[in-house]
Amino acid sequence: MTVRFDGVSFSYPGTDAPALRDLSCVFVAGQVTWLFGKLGAGSSTALLVAGGLAPILTGGRRTGSVRIGELDPGDVANRAALAGRIGYVSAQPHLQLSGLAETVFDEVAFAPANLGWERGRIGTAVLHALARVGAGHLVDRVPTELSGGELQRVVLAAMLVLAPKVWLLDEPASALDPAARAGAYALFREEARRGAAVVIATEDADGVLEVADRIIVLERGQVAVDGVPAEVLGSDACWALGVGSTTVGALWRAAAERVPAMADDGVPLTLEAAAAKVMQA
Amino acid sequence: MTPSAPGSLVARAHPFTSLTVTLAVVVLAFLLPASIGPVVLALLAIAVAAVVGDPASLTPSLIIVVPLWLLLLLVQGVLGDAPFTTWGPLTLSIGGLDEALAQGARLTAIVVASMLALRGFRASRFVDAAAERRWPFSAAYLVAATLQTIPRLRQRVTLIRDAQRSRGLRVQGSIVQRVTALVPLTLPLILGALADTDDRAVALEGRAIAAVTAPGARRTPLAPPVDTVVDRVVRWGSVLAVAVAIIWRITR
Repeated sequence: MTVRFDGVSFSYPGTDAPALRDLSCVFVAGQVTWLFGKLGAGSSTALLVAGGLAPILTGGRRTGSVRIGELDPGDVANRAALAGRIGYVSAQPHLQLSGLAETVFDEVAFAPANLGWERGRIGTAVLHALARVGAGHLVDRVPTELSGGELQRVVLAAMLVLAPKVWLLDEPASALDPAARAGAYALFREEARRGAAVVIATEDADGVLEVADRIIVLERGQVAVDGVPAEVLGSDACWALGVGSTTVGALWRAAAERVPAMADDGVPLTLEAAAAKVMQA
Repeated sequence: MTPSAPGSLVARAHPFTSLTVTLAVVVLAFLLPASIGPVVLALLAIAVAAVVGDPASLTPSLIIVVPLWLLLLLVQGVLGDAPFTTWGPLTLSIGGLDEALAQGARLTAIVVASMLALRGFRASRFVDAAAERRWPFSAAYLVAATLQTIPRLRQRVTLIRDAQRSRGLRVQGSIVQRVTALVPLTLPLILGALADTDDRAVALEGRAIAAVTAPGARRTPLAPPVDTVVDRVVRWGSVLAVAVAIIWRITR
């Protein structure tokens, strides 16, 4: 399912300053789209609006058109039709627990049970989802007693079990160790290959650079740059926005300030690219 | 709040049974003739908790009721009318003591039964039981969330207290110091509970809650609790006892 924003503006309650301003963009099915920007640029809000959580639950005022397929997620009448099709993961996994589950199994099974799946199907799907995020061993644990990283994997499994058509991920790997983070990004890549529209809002440029098909840089709730991640992140225009870069990219630019020739043939963004460039020199 | 052991009677009972019995105890505590009725009810509740229920639930119950008993005996005994009796250095009203006995027994019965039910309450079992009976999910969630409020607030109080102590707040000491510490403890507690409601709404929305709250929708019970003959007998027995007590109150 493709998510389409046409001229969308959104303001939270109690403020006149819009978090999104006339935002127009498309999150294409089968692609991983990376939302990038400075704090307050509107990435998290864009995810909430895309999922209909804003304004339905947050309050506030939205103008313009948002469509998931043909449905407006901000219309209360479409909530049941979209239930289970959107996988929203926030940056704080402990806030995403159902509050009704005594075990990780029950936690992951919560949404399928709400959708009225048959019990046997739920059991198979839950165990499969937990295994895919490397959390199979947690199945009998109490959700509230898990570590941050374990909880983040369980929350991912709780969404993965639904095989959502749209993934809205807000810093989805913030509590994971490097190996688990790489596994999570590989999982999102697989989900896009399955046909889902995957949108990741993250500052983790090192992790997501090679996973994303596309990057949308937001500034003050608007699209500032939209393109291929390696090209956009390596460009001077993007650097000038002050949104940052990968660790290697930022380091290279710092060095290029002293040795301007280093930036002549572009800025490498990964360790491999930097090594290759050094070897060429 | 520490949950009761999984093997205890109250943990094994059908969720509707323990809730029905608790509600019946609350109603009967006020319907039965004072002071013998509430006293028998309180003793019965303590016996059930101690012998076949969850003996560990008696400790928090006693922590709640013992100060209330002392207060009731003192206030009713000292301020009550004649005739009086003498207990050591104290001269106490016999009528007042009788009233304190009735009120204390009522409170004891209610607190012991409620504590037993709360410690044995498992939200997932209750929701499964409700789904099995085709209750609307929103009603089941409302009951489950309400009964989980106390343990959640206790967890939050611990976190807030630790956080405020790390900032230098003194929560122990004289009465003045303790009262002064209440404001920085209760304000974040209330605000946090309100914010928790918003977060929970977002979490549930992302977990297909809209599907189960739609008209005619039904949630799949994951592991519905067994409703035994004993459960049904106890539930209907409780309802019958309340009905008999109501009729007795009306016709006496």
